[in-house]
Parts: sequence; C-alpha cells; structure tokens
Amino acid sequence: MFIARSEYDRGINTFSPEGRLFQVEYSLEAIKLGSTAIGVSTSSGVILGVEKRVTSTLLETSSVEKIVEIDRHIGCAMSGLQADARSMVEHARVESQNHAFHYNEPLRVESCTQAICDLALRFGEGAEGEESIMSRPFGVALLIAGFDEDGPSLYHAEPSGTFYRYDAKAIGSGSEGAQAELQNEFHKSLTLEEAELLVLKTLKQVMEEKLDSKNVQLASVTKDKGFRIYQDAEMEEVVAKLPKN
Amino acid sequence: MAGMFAGPQEMMGYSFNTAPTSASEPRQHSFYPYTDNGGSTLGISGADFTIMAGDTRSTSGYSINSRHVPKLFLIGGEGPKNKGARIVLSVVGFAADGDALKEKLDKEVKMYKYQHGKPMTVSACAQRLSHILYNKRFFPYYVHAILGGIDEEGKGALYSYDPVGSYEREQCRAAGAASSLIMPFLDNQVNFKNHHIPGSGEGHDLKPVVATPLPKETVIELVRDAFTSAVERHIEVGDGLQMMILTKDGVEEQLLPLKKD
Repeated sequence: MFIARSEYDRGINTFSPEGRLFQVEYSLEAIKLGSTAIGVSTSSGVILGVEKRVTSTLLETSSVEKIVEIDRHIGCAMSGLQADARSMVEHARVESQNHAFHYNEPLRVESCTQAICDLALRFGEGAEGEESIMSRPFGVALLIAGFDEDGPSLYHAEPSGTFYRYDAKAIGSGSEGAQAELQNEFHKSLTLEEAELLVLKTLKQVMEEKLDSKNVQLASVTKDKGFRIYQDAEMEEVVAKLPKN
Repeated sequence: MAGMFAGPQEMMGYSFNTAPTSASEPRQHSFYPYTDNGGSTLGISGADFTIMAGDTRSTSGYSINSRHVPKLFLIGGEGPKNKGARIVLSVVGFAADGDALKEKLDKEVKMYKYQHGKPMTVSACAQRLSHILYNKRFFPYYVHAILGGIDEEGKGALYSYDPVGSYEREQCRAAGAASSLIMPFLDNQVNFKNHHIPGSGEGHDLKPVVATPLPKETVIELVRDAFTSAVERHIEVGDGLQMMILTKDGVEEQLLPLKKD
C-alpha cells in the first residue's frame, strides 16, 4: 500500500490521482493517537473535558495542559500533538485581542474558529510570493467552546482546515466509543451539572486508566463566568458525584 | 477646527503656490497637500433616532467648486447605492480625504459582515473609525468626522472625531466651517445649556433645566434653523442641505434648498 502511495506522499500539497492529499489524511490519524477530549454544549454553557495520560507516578499532573484559554469567553480542548496546538492557540489569542482592539467587542466563537482554520493549510512550499510557515499539516484537533451574543457554542476544528459546530463531540483515541455514548445520552435540555457528569461518565468508559480527579480535567464556558478551568477542589467534588462501580 | 488648514502661507485654498515670482529671483516651488473645502455638518441623536446633516457646497478659497457635493455617506449597505445601510458617516474639511476615509470605512464594514456573518454595530464601527484615523497619525485625513447610527438598545448613537481619531459619544455635534456658529446654538437648544427653572433661586442658586431627548420633528426644525442661520453668516456654507434621518426602520434622506449667495 505504501509503495503505491509513495509518489504522492512527497509533495505535501500534491493531489493523488484519486484526488486525495495524503499528508492531510495522515494528520487526521495523528489525532486518533491522542488522548480523548470531549465537549458538550447546553443551553446555559459548554463543558469541555479531557483525559490526562499520567505515564509515570512521578509526573506532576498539573503540568499537563490540554485545556487552555483563548479569551475570557473562549477556551479550547486539544487532542494530538500538543506543541502544534500552541501555535494555533497563540494565533487565536492574537486574533481575539486584535478584534477587541479594533471593534471594542468580543470576537465571535465562529470567527475565532475560522481564524484558527485559516492557519491549517499554510503548510508545504507555499505559492509564489507568499511565505509558508509550516512544513507539514498540524497534528492536532481542537474543540473550541465559547459564549457570544448568540449564546453558547461548540466547534470542532481539524487539521484539514474544516470545522463544524456540534452539540456534543469527542476527539482522540477514544472518540469512536465516546461519540456513540454522547449520541445516546445527549439531549437539548441537559443542565450544566448534567453535562459535567455526562463528560466524566463518557471519559471514564473510554479511558484505559481508572478515572480520578487527577487524570481528568474539566472546564466550562458560561455567560457570567466566561471560560473557567476547574480547580482541584472542584474536580474532586465533581468526580465524587460519579456513580462508583 | 479653526485654523486647521493654515498652510505654509496664505494660499486661498489652493494646494500649490499661485503667486508669480519675478524671473530674476530663484523660484521656490512648493506643494501643500491639503485644501479646505469649507462646508459644515452636524449630528443630533434622540431617544430612538439620529439625524445627520450637512450642506452641499464645495469651495476653495472664494470660489465655489460645486453646489452639490454631499458630505453624508451611507456606510456598509448593499450594491452601488448602499441599500439597507444603518450607519451614516459625515465628513467635513478636505473633501478628497473625506472621500478616501468614507471608501475605507465602507470597505471595512462590508468585509466585517462577510467575515463575521452579522452587520457591524455602531459602537464597533466607531472604534474601527478611530483606528483608521489614528493609523494616519503622521499624515492625517484632514477631516472632522461624525458617525451616526442606532445602538444595540435601539437608542440614537452619535460619535464625533478629531482628525487623528480621538472620539466621544455625544448628544449633538457641529463640525466644519460654521461649527463655531452652530455648536453654541445646539448646546443651548439640545443640551439646554443656560436654561434655568424660573423662580428656582437667585444667581448661582438657579436650578438648571435637565436635558431630555427631543422629539424627531423638533430636531429636524433645529437642523434647518441652524443651517439657514449659518448660511447668512458664513460664506462657505450654502446651496443645499442634505439630511439623513436614522431610525430602527433604516435611513431616510432629504435634500432641501439653501441660499446660493
């Protein structure tokens, strides 16, 4: 299989005769190796949750940062190559601050997502006169949660540069199982508390390690408090609410 | 604004030196990039409307370039006539700079709608205009701009600017050649400055009248009075009065004659 593909694997912006961009497709595979991240949108806000893979008992879990703030009202969870996400988040932060500077209003969540996706295809050799910044596509997918004038919203952004809005979305290694679970459990009248539990319950099902308050991370975006990462005490409280088995 | 157009020498509003110099002396050429095209504008905001107005005369020095050069522009509508626009920009000063500023702001407001999928609010447009002006801090647009619209709460919104982008939301503002004639009139008639409640005290104890938003018909009358009076006392103001009335239903434009002398 690889021999047949090899010709079109070199130029990363070259279409194969079947009309595919292999490097972009491979980058989607990189995400499937990443830890699971889940987002659930409710009428009062969005909950993001990620699993932290604690590979060693000596690892300081608080140093694993998979949920980050973009602006006061937007945050994102990531799965895949985290280093790649840094430059995307940095771009989104600059874009968000620029918007507030120029227009004296917060950036919309969709516009923020679009700004991130505009970066996604800036790899390869670059057209004449334009400087290309990356040698390969991003190896990370983002769940972007925010609250703007239209209420709460959740977006999924891929390395291919496409994005969609979701009520509930799972990405990463456990995404298939998690997405099926979300499909069954999600309904429009979920409260924020129910969404917290749904995210944790779903993570618990797909995680290899046993879920505790140290190896998962939650964050919420609401109208009043904006984007907020749960503190250790809050995490313990929410995890304690999970049914034991 | 007065004295803003004081060029290197008094040049009667031309951008180049017109005085012939004697052949024996060395000739010094000069180019002054700004011209004062005269005219005046004003804006008044009410509870649920904003009215913008400007005369349509364009001058250079003692000459009249044209009797119909509008100073009010619809920003961010659709098509060549900017249909459906909900923001109005007025510019007075150097007409070419005013035109360039209008084109730039209009482009930005239209691009904003494509990029963010919603029309730009007046407050966002006001901030943007400030930055556009400040971006040319060292070669400014030589204009006094006023921006009008309806804010997100449905109230009349009016913002006025200096040539380098300082801005403020106000109830009323007059700009341009006759601003020094019109502004005190507006202070008195719109913000009720120097109005006191009769018999409320002596001297400093007199209670001032608290300004309340005026009805639309009253404001239209004030605008017409302001301009007919300004035309009598200022040679750069006259010919026509262009008025735009902004409400939640959109923008209505009126053209009225002024004295052509």
